[in-house]
Amino acid sequence: MAVAEIFLWWYAAGWRTFIQKNRNAISSITDFFSMSSLIRTLFKPYRQISAETANANSSLDLKFHMFLDRLISRFVGFCSRLILLLAGSVIILIGGVFSLILIILWPFIPLLPIVGIILTVMGVTF
Amino acid sequence: MSVTFDPKNSRVKKAHQKRSLNSPAILALYSIMFICFLAGGISLLVMKIALGWLFIGLSAWPIMILFWIKNTLNEIPVKNTENFTDLLSEDLLLLLKAQMSSTDLIKILPKTPSGVFLMARFQLNIDLMDELTPSLPSETGPIYEKALAIREKTNSEEITGAILVVAIIENLPNFEQVLSGLKLDIQDLYQGINWYNYLHGIVKDAKKPVRSGGIARDLAFGFTPTLQQFAVNLSERYTGSRYKIQQAENFEIINQIIEAFSHQGRQNVALVGSYGSGRSTIVNSFAETLMNADSDIPNNLKFRQIYALDAPSLISAAKDQGELEYLMIKIFNEIYSAKNIILCLDNAHLFFEEGPGSIDIANLLVPILEAGKIRIILIMDDQKFLEISNKNPMLANALNKIIVKPSNREDTIKILMDQVPYFEHQKNVIYTYKSLLEAYNLSKQYIHDMEMPGKAKLLLEAAASYAENGLVTETSVQNTVEKTYGVKVKVASESEDREKLLNLEALIHERMIDQKEAVATIANALRRAGAGVKNQNRPIGVFLFLGPTGVGKTELAKTLSEVYFNGEDHIIRLDMNEFVSSSDVNRLIQSGEEEALSLTASVSKQPFSVILLDEIEKAHPSVLTTLLQVLDEGVLRDEKNREISFRDSIIIATSNAGANEIREKISAGVKIEEVKEELIEQLIASGEFKPEFLNRFDEICLFKPLSKDDLSSILDLMIASTNKTLEPQKISVHLSPEAKQTLIDKGYDPKMGARPMRRIVQKTVENAVATAILSGAVGSGSTLEITPENLEV
Repeated sequence: MAVAEIFLWWYAAGWRTFIQKNRNAISSITDFFSMSSLIRTLFKPYRQISAETANANSSLDLKFHMFLDRLISRFVGFCSRLILLLAGSVIILIGGVFSLILIILWPFIPLLPIVGIILTVMGVTF
Repeated sequence: MSVTFDPKNSRVKKAHQKRSLNSPAILALYSIMFICFLAGGISLLVMKIALGWLFIGLSAWPIMILFWIKNTLNEIPVKNTENFTDLLSEDLLLLLKAQMSSTDLIKILPKTPSGVFLMARFQLNIDLMDELTPSLPSETGPIYEKALAIREKTNSEEITGAILVVAIIENLPNFEQVLSGLKLDIQDLYQGINWYNYLHGIVKDAKKPVRSGGIARDLAFGFTPTLQQFAVNLSERYTGSRYKIQQAENFEIINQIIEAFSHQGRQNVALVGSYGSGRSTIVNSFAETLMNADSDIPNNLKFRQIYALDAPSLISAAKDQGELEYLMIKIFNEIYSAKNIILCLDNAHLFFEEGPGSIDIANLLVPILEAGKIRIILIMDDQKFLEISNKNPMLANALNKIIVKPSNREDTIKILMDQVPYFEHQKNVIYTYKSLLEAYNLSKQYIHDMEMPGKAKLLLEAAASYAENGLVTETSVQNTVEKTYGVKVKVASESEDREKLLNLEALIHERMIDQKEAVATIANALRRAGAGVKNQNRPIGVFLFLGPTGVGKTELAKTLSEVYFNGEDHIIRLDMNEFVSSSDVNRLIQSGEEEALSLTASVSKQPFSVILLDEIEKAHPSVLTTLLQVLDEGVLRDEKNREISFRDSIIIATSNAGANEIREKISAGVKIEEVKEELIEQLIASGEFKPEFLNRFDEICLFKPLSKDDLSSILDLMIASTNKTLEPQKISVHLSPEAKQTLIDKGYDPKMGARPMRRIVQKTVENAVATAILSGAVGSGSTLEITPENLEV
C-alpha cells in the first residue's frame, strides 16, 4: 500500500512540490544577488558618491569637471553592479538548468532500478 | 448523531506513519542506504562490474522515500470539512482512541503542548481536572461536540488540546461557578486558546525564510559616516530574520506613516503620545516592515533604513551651537545623499528647546521639514508638542502629526501576550494569564509616570524576579508593586478578610470603648463594601465623625487602620487646620517628587490606608471643594495631572462641630439617631457644612460624650497599654480599686472626654512607676501595686 502511495504521490503532488521547491530556490538566489535592485539602479552613481550639480553661475570648466565626476561615479557603479549582475545571472542560469534537468528527470527516477537491471543484464561497463 | 473520533481516518494513519517514519533514525537509515547503493554502484562500475548499474538504480528508491517522508509527513494539514477527526491537531490524532471516557481524555491532555500551555497559564492543574471528572458526562461525544463549537468561536484552524480542555470545562454543569472560583470566565479561556494559536503561528512563521534584499541591496545608497557615529541603525536587527513580532495594534499607524512617506510633500511624521504608549515600538515595527521584501509597501520605501539620532552624544560632541549646527547639516547632507535613510528623532523636543542636554535647532530643521527632501520621524509627548506649537507654530505646521493613544485593556492584554514569550525566554519563567491581567490592573492604578501598554509591560517584566517555582502569578505581580513601588496592594487573604468583616465590631471594641452606634454603622458600611454591594468606583468607605473632643473619633480611625489594614501605620493623617487658605489646595495635590507628604503622594505610595481628615470644618472651602471629587469618585489628579486612586482607602473626616448640642441632647436623654438628624440640619443651616459636602459621606456617625463607666474601661485600656510598654522589663502595674476611683474622679470631664484621663495617668501612674523603678522599689518579675497614696494627684 505504502509503495503504491509513494508512486502515486511521486507523479502527482510530488512533482508539483518539486517544481515549486526549485522555483523557490531560484527566487532565493535572485533575492540573494539583489537582481531586481541591481537592474533598477544599474546606472546610479556608486554609493551615491557624486559631485554636486553645478548651478547656472558656475564656470564651464567647473561644470565639465562635475559632469566628468558624475560620469566616473556612474561608470564605477555600473561596473560593480554589472559584475554582480553577471555573477548572479550565471548562478541563476546554472541553477535553473540544473533544476530543469531534475524536473524533467523526475518521472524517470522510480524507473532507475529497472534501467539498472537492463544495463546490468546488458553488461554495460565503462 | 454523536460526534466521535474515527481511528480509520486517513489523517490518523498519516500521523502514525509520521511518528514511525519521520524520525531521525529512519531518515538517517534511508540516507545511508542511498549513499551505500550509489557509492557501491559507482565503485563496481569503476571495477568494470556491470552490477554497479543495478546498485545505482536501486539508490533511487531510498531517495524517493526520503522525499516522500519529508514532503508529505512533515505536516498533516486539517481538511476543510466539519468532521471532528479531520480537524484534529497532529498530537491528538496520535493520542485519541475510538473508545475513550472523559477520564481517559483528561489524562491525555497534559501530553499535548497546547493542553499544557492552557493548563499552566490558567493554573488548571491535573488535580483540579480530576476533581471535576465526576461531574462530567462519561461519554466524550458532548465534549467533542463542544470542541467543534469552540473551534468555530475562536476561529482556530484545528482542534487542539487547549480546545479540548476548555470543552471539558464547558461540559461541567456548573462551569461558570468553577471558573469564578478561579476568578476567571469562559471568555478568558477563549483568550487563552487564541493566545496559544497566535504563538503557534509565530513559531510556524519563523521557519519561513525572510527575503531582505540580498548582498547588493545597499550598493546604490550612499555612505553615512557622521550619521553612523551619532545614530543607531534600528533596521539592522531586522535584516533577514523575524526578530520582532509585528503587532496588529500598530498596523493602522504604520499605514499612516507609509502613506505620509509614499507621496510627494512633507516627508515627516510626528508621533505624538505619552511615554509608554508604544511610539518606539511603532517605529521598530515600521523598520521591520521596510526590511521585509514581501511587505506590501511602495518600492520607494523598501529597504529604507531607520536611524535613531542620539541627541545627548551629538550635543556633547559639539563645543557650541555653531559646531552642533555644522554637525547637523553634515548629517542631513549625508542622509540626503544616501537616499535610503529615514531619520528618527526620539525625544524630538530636545532639538527644539534650550537647556541641559537639549538645544534649539528649530531654525535649521524647519526648512528641511518643509522642503521634504529628507524623511524624518519625530517622537515627542503631547505636552511637549503643545509647548512647541505655542513657541513655534511654523514648526508645528510643518509636521504631519499622528497621535499615538495609550492602548485600551483589550489591546494591552494582546500586547502583553505578544511580549510574554520574550520575557519567558530571557528570564526562564512561565507567566500565567492572571498575571497579565494583574499587571494591567495594578500598573493602571499605581504607575503614574507612564502610559499603557508600556507600564504594564514594565511591571510584567519586573514580576519575573518574584516568580514562585518559575511561575509568574498574580501574587508575583502584587509583590513586585509592593517591593518596587513601595505600594501595599495586598491586605489579607479572602478568608481572613471575610472573617475580619464578620467580626469587625468585636475586633474594634478590643481597642474602643463604647460608641457602639458609631462602630456598628462603620462595620455595616464596610461589610457592604467588602461584599461588593456598594459602588466599586468609590473609596471603600467615606465617613464623617461628629462629636465632642476626646470621645474616640481619632481612636476609631486608628483602630480601623489596625483592624482593617493590619497596621496602625496605615493611616494618613491631615490636620485640616493647616489647610485654611485657598493656596493650601496645592499642598494636597503636590507631586511626590516635590512634596513627599502631600495627600496624593502619600496615597499613591500607600493606597490601602485610612485617610483621616481631622477637624474638617476648619479647612478652606476650596480645599473642601477639591476633596469632593475624592469623596465621590475616589480619584484625585495631582499637579502633574496624574490620576491617583483613593478607591482602596477608607476616608474619615472628623469634626467637633455641634459638640455642645450633642452633649446637651444626650444628657437630656434624647436618642442619638434623633440628635443626628437635627444636628445635620443645624450644621447645614448654620453654613458650617454645605449639603453637597455632607451628601458625599456614606455615613455620618455621632459620638456621644463618655460616661464615668466608659472612663473606667478606658482607664483599664490605658493601664494595659502601660503594662505592654513595661513588658520588656518584666514589670507590671496594678491599680487598686480605690486608686482607680481616684483617677476616674480626677480625670472625668464631660467636655474634654478621655483626654484629661490620659494626662492624669501620665502624671500619676507613669510617674509612680518611674520613681519605683529608679529607686529599686520594683524589680524584674514583680508587680507594682498602685494605691491612692502612691498617686501624686
